[in-house]
Amino acid sequence: MMPDPSMRAWEPEIQPRQTIWHRLDHGARRLLPTLFCALVIVVLSAPLPIPGIAELMPAIVLTTVFFWSFWRPTGMPSLAVFLLGLFMDLVGFTPLGVSALLLLLVHGVGLYARFGLMRLPFLLVWGVFSLVALAACLLQWGLACLFRLTFMDLPPALFEAFLCIGLYPPLSALFSSILNRLDDKEDA
Amino acid sequence: MIPVSIQLRQALGKLVLPLLVLLSLAILIAGQANRKLADRARMYTTDILSPFWSLVSIGQERAVAITHNLQEAGQLAQENARLKAENENLRRWYDVAVSLTRENDSLKTALHWIPEPAPAFVTGRVVADSGGIYTRAVLLVAGTDSGVQVGNIALAANGLAGRVTETGTHSARILLITDIASRLPVMLEASQAPAIMVGDNSPMPRLMYYAQDTRPVEGERVVTSDQAGAFPAGLPIGTVHYVAEGRPVVAPFAQLDHLSLLRVFNFGRSQVEPPDAPGHVPLAPPHKSLDLPFKNLLGQE
Repeated sequence: MMPDPSMRAWEPEIQPRQTIWHRLDHGARRLLPTLFCALVIVVLSAPLPIPGIAELMPAIVLTTVFFWSFWRPTGMPSLAVFLLGLFMDLVGFTPLGVSALLLLLVHGVGLYARFGLMRLPFLLVWGVFSLVALAACLLQWGLACLFRLTFMDLPPALFEAFLCIGLYPPLSALFSSILNRLDDKEDA
Repeated sequence: MIPVSIQLRQALGKLVLPLLVLLSLAILIAGQANRKLADRARMYTTDILSPFWSLVSIGQERAVAITHNLQEAGQLAQENARLKAENENLRRWYDVAVSLTRENDSLKTALHWIPEPAPAFVTGRVVADSGGIYTRAVLLVAGTDSGVQVGNIALAANGLAGRVTETGTHSARILLITDIASRLPVMLEASQAPAIMVGDNSPMPRLMYYAQDTRPVEGERVVTSDQAGAFPAGLPIGTVHYVAEGRPVVAPFAQLDHLSLLRVFNFGRSQVEPPDAPGHVPLAPPHKSLDLPFKNLLGQE
């Protein structure tokens, strides 16, 4: 389905020569989800009067990473996921590396299960994502407990998980429309 | 780009994710081991991002201000609609008032109504009264020079204040209605019944000598009566208030404890001489006998 990017290097005569605009356009398309996540992190870590903002930012990022990981992994490479997680840790108050680890695990699940997930109907995908989000939030809670060496409150972690689950349908609708538009442009 | 085989490339690609996971674990452990380093990195990031955040919060404040303004504009529109409706209503009443005034004028013309003379008045500043025989009296900086005469009536902004009892060239003493020497004929406005308002040096003068079948009602307006010829009828004084059972007092409209300006009206009552009637003992106009020697004395000086 996807043309192997390495083919261009081996058969330069067949592919049309890419101009610099082509390359920029391509790069921007690939970077779009990452840039979106970075923007979300920057904006939502500002002191805005939005209720539950501390849980909203990681929830949006987690949902975005999962969606792009299984649907279009070229838009969300592992390195970008790692950097986003690190950025989130630096901006937020989580121990350094926790969000990076969690996002990478979610990304890995999406990446390795992508051929199974792409065949499933939306509702089942949503169910799988719910389990993944719940597991991720519980893992985060467990790590926080481990580092503080006390039992933390469970409700915030559950709230974050439910926020992820609730955010998945609207965000996936948004990303699907973006994907469709990008594909149309690619065909034209 | 280093030319490597496709197989090696794919193997490397598969290795990236586990390597990054291991790296994040390493960062996690390193961050726990050396917290100062993690905090410094965090502070550095915050320093870089703080302009963005201030930008975001400025935008947010602007947005809040704009929504606030929009809400206010909506309220203004509502207020405007309400005022327009009210204005329409008032315009109707204005027309009614104008037509009633015209009708009144025409009726007065038809009846050969003698118009009341418009009272002349002077306004003076009140200075505290230090001496004198009265407890509740004030001194006004307006005297015979300005046309103030004994027996003239002093009105505060919204009610009767008292009467002029003594005049000098540049000053006049005004006996307030609360003084113990003050006794005024008044009328209860609702029942049109006469009564006497008696000052007792307290802030609220008492009501006495009212008819037993028309008792003053709490909150009723009290106005002057022209029974003795000292006052024109209908000047507002105050409202009836019961301090105890069977003890009505008048709460004056005028704030008599801190007067600053008083208007002194000359209603020209003393000029109205009732025609002589056989068997009728004419009432001496109040203080008229006092007037003349003072005037002569001052005129000679």
